[in-house]
Amino acid sequence: MSTIAPEFRLSRFIASLFDIIFWILLIFSLVGLPIVFIILFYIKLPLINGQLLTPYLAMTWLADPSRSVPIIKSFIHTTFFKVAVFPGFGFAALLAAATIFIERKFLAKMQLRVGPLYCGKIEGILQLMGDGLKLMSKEIIIPAKADKPIFWIGPLLFVGTAGAFVSLIPVAPGWVVANPNVGLLAVFATIGFFPIIAVLSAWAANSKWTFIGGLRALHQMISFEIPLILSLLSIVILSGTLNLSQIVESQKHYWWIVFTPISAIVFFITIIAELERIPFDLPEAESEIVAGWLTEFSGMMYGLIQLGTYLKLYAFAGLFTVLFLGGWNGPMVWPPFPEDIVTHGITIGPVTAKFPGLPLFDQEMLNGTLWFVIKTAGVILLILLPRGVFPRIRIDMLLHNGWYKWIGLAFVNIFIALGLLYAGVLGPGGLIH
Amino acid sequence: MSTAVGIIKALNSGVKHLAVKRFTLRYPEQKLKFVGDGFQFNPEAGVGIAGLRGRHILYHEHCTGCQLCAVACEGIAEAIGMVKVNETWKQNKKAIMPQIDYGKCVFCGLCVDACPFYALYMTNDYELSSFTKSALIYTPGQLAIKPKMSQDVEIKIDDRGASHG
Amino acid sequence: MTTQLPPGFELEKVDDRIMTLNVGPQHPGSGHMRLIIKVDGDYIVSCDPDPGYVHRGEEKMAEYRNYIQNIPHLERPVIHDSSNILYPYCLAVEDLLGIEVPERAKYVRVIASELNRCIYTLYWLAIYGIFLGHSTMFMWSAGDRELFIDLLEAMSGARVTHAFLVPGGVRNDLPANFEERCLRQVNYFEKRLREYEDIFYQNPLLKARTEDTGILSRTDAIRLGTTGSVLRASGVDFDIRKKEPYDVYENLDFDTVVMKEGDSYARSRVPYLEMFESCRIIKDALRKMPKSGSVRTKLKPNPKGGNDEVYRRIESGRGALGYYIVSNNRPEPYRVKISVGSFRNLICIPYLLKGEKLGNMPAVYWSLNYWPVEADR
Repeated sequence: MSTIAPEFRLSRFIASLFDIIFWILLIFSLVGLPIVFIILFYIKLPLINGQLLTPYLAMTWLADPSRSVPIIKSFIHTTFFKVAVFPGFGFAALLAAATIFIERKFLAKMQLRVGPLYCGKIEGILQLMGDGLKLMSKEIIIPAKADKPIFWIGPLLFVGTAGAFVSLIPVAPGWVVANPNVGLLAVFATIGFFPIIAVLSAWAANSKWTFIGGLRALHQMISFEIPLILSLLSIVILSGTLNLSQIVESQKHYWWIVFTPISAIVFFITIIAELERIPFDLPEAESEIVAGWLTEFSGMMYGLIQLGTYLKLYAFAGLFTVLFLGGWNGPMVWPPFPEDIVTHGITIGPVTAKFPGLPLFDQEMLNGTLWFVIKTAGVILLILLPRGVFPRIRIDMLLHNGWYKWIGLAFVNIFIALGLLYAGVLGPGGLIH
Repeated sequence: MSTAVGIIKALNSGVKHLAVKRFTLRYPEQKLKFVGDGFQFNPEAGVGIAGLRGRHILYHEHCTGCQLCAVACEGIAEAIGMVKVNETWKQNKKAIMPQIDYGKCVFCGLCVDACPFYALYMTNDYELSSFTKSALIYTPGQLAIKPKMSQDVEIKIDDRGASHG
Repeated sequence: MTTQLPPGFELEKVDDRIMTLNVGPQHPGSGHMRLIIKVDGDYIVSCDPDPGYVHRGEEKMAEYRNYIQNIPHLERPVIHDSSNILYPYCLAVEDLLGIEVPERAKYVRVIASELNRCIYTLYWLAIYGIFLGHSTMFMWSAGDRELFIDLLEAMSGARVTHAFLVPGGVRNDLPANFEERCLRQVNYFEKRLREYEDIFYQNPLLKARTEDTGILSRTDAIRLGTTGSVLRASGVDFDIRKKEPYDVYENLDFDTVVMKEGDSYARSRVPYLEMFESCRIIKDALRKMPKSGSVRTKLKPNPKGGNDEVYRRIESGRGALGYYIVSNNRPEPYRVKISVGSFRNLICIPYLLKGEKLGNMPAVYWSLNYWPVEADR
């Protein structure tokens, strides 16, 4: 885009408006209508009050306030909502976007400067939108000798795996996208994919700097996955289950961090290494290897990788909360839904409207979500803090620490946990329960 | 053990600085204050008077068209050219005055040092950007206008740190 | 092969293990020059610096400008340290033309030189932080540098490229309230410098990265002809401000900073400790400065030097900076040779980087205080 704006002419403006309307109509009819038909054919329509809810019926009922609430409620409990909006992608992406903005402002305050300021009227709050629009408008350049299919799917795989990881984290009782009985093992399997993706995209880009960066990413992530897995074994031993929701429920009276603080520290440091954040950001070390395995990604591919990284950040912080800090447990601070709205309805002036089945989300779930968000935000702030304080670590120091010290410390806490279990202090049938 | 202590001290220092004031000048809303009125030169004493070296200001009632400023700039940036003006002044029989091309000027101020008639000074104006190169050439008429610069803040140091306030 | 290679070229055997990396001009870790590094796994086998990307022909261009027009021209190699790069030029021209400089001008020059030295060192420290991945160091140094740039702006009128020192003194007198403002900001700056200790110099991660890397022993430092803080970090006590004092440095009281280890950590610490000494010099000079007096000796129009040659040198942030000027009865000098500290230290880069790990490359390379623009002139 040139920096000198062309002169404004009304005829050109109206021509461009007509152009836009033409394209919208064309795309709507050629693409939108088939999508509507596919939805109508393949999605199971729910049964409400004995009637099959077709879209036409849904729209008639939505206009009638006394009947709209059951429709919304049934939609909220579908799997699609869970995947796309609440504990799944929408919620995580919103938290990730807030994290990016807060990270920039937080680091700026520590470094005695302002951070984003001009985008958006108040202290740069629309900066992220500006960055997203900028990335979308950039040209995606692919090196000539790169391995094109693998290069293209690299960022998509990254976001997909990060999304799979996000889907395993329980936010409130019953609200989790995927709840396998071996949830923690599924987490380990998912994070085992990230080094593969890093090496694939690094190799596919066919350049020396990405090669070095990819190898460093591989070394770093693999050598830190082992202490990560070992440090969580003590939690499994103490709570007796691998299912993440059950681990949270077992923390009703006390949090596991009280009994396994060493594991918590080891886990915290290994997740900073898995996320490639400073002080462990060798794979993206800007001053040595020019952004490492991310060098050749431009435009929206880079945007997808950033999104994936921050989704991973939220997911790891969520995992820390779920395993060590008690997940959604906390005193009930959410006010209960006023009883008379359920029985009498809302009164505005002379009109009284009744909404049967009103509390959309029950109090327990909202309280649990609130505590989960507060704890996760605290953990995220702790993860953001080392970025302003430490320089980058060197690869041989990292490998030395990862293979000797952290594995040793993780084993120490496994022995403590085993000792507490066999002494009859914790676990099912123990003294403290 | 000492590494753990060092790490905690570094984190402590980082967290303490969250309470220190921000130092940045928020530019278009706040602008810096300057001492004085711009760089000036006293040819009799041979010494300048301290001030910001911004855009020049030409006093038409003193300029005699001697071209010493253009001669001084020839070796440096060649930004000053003499042009004919439509004004008649008693001291300027040839009716030529300098025009300055800010695309080439390096703001060194040696032209101000060269002027013996108290006619060319520099002002506090530093916002000289334009959309075309030809708009950067300031004619003697444009150089005669005294700029109004808003000046709001300067560096203030207190207990909680330094800031522009 | 029957074709003859031109002299200086040689055939390079392509090895499976050794990879040639171009830490080139378009690299976030190199500055304005190129390093051709051959890497075997993680160890650097050889390093070949390739300066010259910013060469403008400053010395040749100086022959077409007279002694006063050379001032904005010769300060361009290091724009934010301009007083130090003009200082030996002014001293040399004053020797050539036989000009006496008033006392107050000498003190003002010393203050300007020390302020500029702090500005350059802070900028260098900021980039050192970035090379090691420590973004807070960059932001803090750049922010504190503003304190000095503000002072220099009040003094000379510009934030960089000050063009403040001229043969004969300085171009303008200090503005009103300058002493009090300068003292306040220098005191605050000393307090801020102490805060760098915890987060940067005593940070265990930083020490683990820079200690015992790129060790330059005392004999090697003298043999290779290094200068400046690199020399002082290897245990040689040589500072031109003390050994060959110029202007009023013999009246001011400060110490030379010497460290014995000669590794990257010492080389990064010596300029930091020298900033404390610079603050002492500034405060001392402000106290001892004559309260009034002229700051510039008026020169005859178009001064011409005789058939003469002169060499003067001073201590800048990067090392000994000297000018050798030959004149022959014309307003322009016949030959200006600039001898720059960075170019003398360039020899240390291939010498120190051989055998180092690739991860240590930025730490060692930038700790040598090498400013590419000045080295290329």
